[in-house]
Amino acid sequence: MTRLTARQYGRRSTAAMVVYVSVMLLVWPQVRSATDLPAKVLLALVPVLPMLYVVWLMARRILGSDELEQRTHLIGLGAATGVSAVFSLICGFLGAARVFELDSIAMLLLWVFPLQMFSYGTVRWWAARRYGSDAGCSDEGGLPAYLRFLIAGTLLALTALWGWSHAMDSTGLGLLAGMAATLLLFALIFGVRRWRRRGEPRAES
Amino acid sequence: MNNSLRALRAQRDWSQGDLAERLDVSRQTINAIETGKYDPSLPLAFRIARLFRQPIESIFEPGKD
Repeated sequence: MTRLTARQYGRRSTAAMVVYVSVMLLVWPQVRSATDLPAKVLLALVPVLPMLYVVWLMARRILGSDELEQRTHLIGLGAATGVSAVFSLICGFLGAARVFELDSIAMLLLWVFPLQMFSYGTVRWWAARRYGSDAGCSDEGGLPAYLRFLIAGTLLALTALWGWSHAMDSTGLGLLAGMAATLLLFALIFGVRRWRRRGEPRAES
Repeated sequence: MNNSLRALRAQRDWSQGDLAERLDVSRQTINAIETGKYDPSLPLAFRIARLFRQPIESIFEPGKD
């Protein structure tokens, strides 16, 4: 399988995330007003399509990786599976005990995939660092990591502002604002890290 | 495991990127092998030995453990 470069992977997954956010903003709010069951199911599952594309991209990237990269992917995926399984188990028990309403359980389940991706990315980055590389957080994908986080965070913050001015529901608004704040925090962390390392010699290429 | 990959690469005036391309692995993998942070699999070790036209044991030698 042809190797997917970090730049190609970054571009394609960013495009998928833009589609996902657009669908969540423009299509998904109409789910509750849809009366026809097939239409409701169809509208509810539209956001899954860009996510399936992201999963396919990840699978392609992992299959095209070399042996060390596959090892770091495996460490990341193993840890992410454990984290999301424990999170699902906790939510399941709390839901079964009627601690949460049904709506809250559904919202928590929506967080399983992002949590899994976040755990995977973080642990893989940590594992790659142990082998002397920076994995997905290096600057080899073109833009520096802090700038990528800054752009994504700013876009989400602007989308949240747009949603706020168009009377978006508080859950969606909270979700967007939370994601924007997290990404901007990452931009700050990576920016400071880059600034502190500005005097160090660069790795051999 | 210790190895003489960096010296062999330097003899040919190859960068880590050049060697990575020849072995069809990432530059990070070459860096990890050279710094002793990662021991390559047997197939990759054979590819390295074939590329440098040397027996595996002259490139890789067991460490203390």
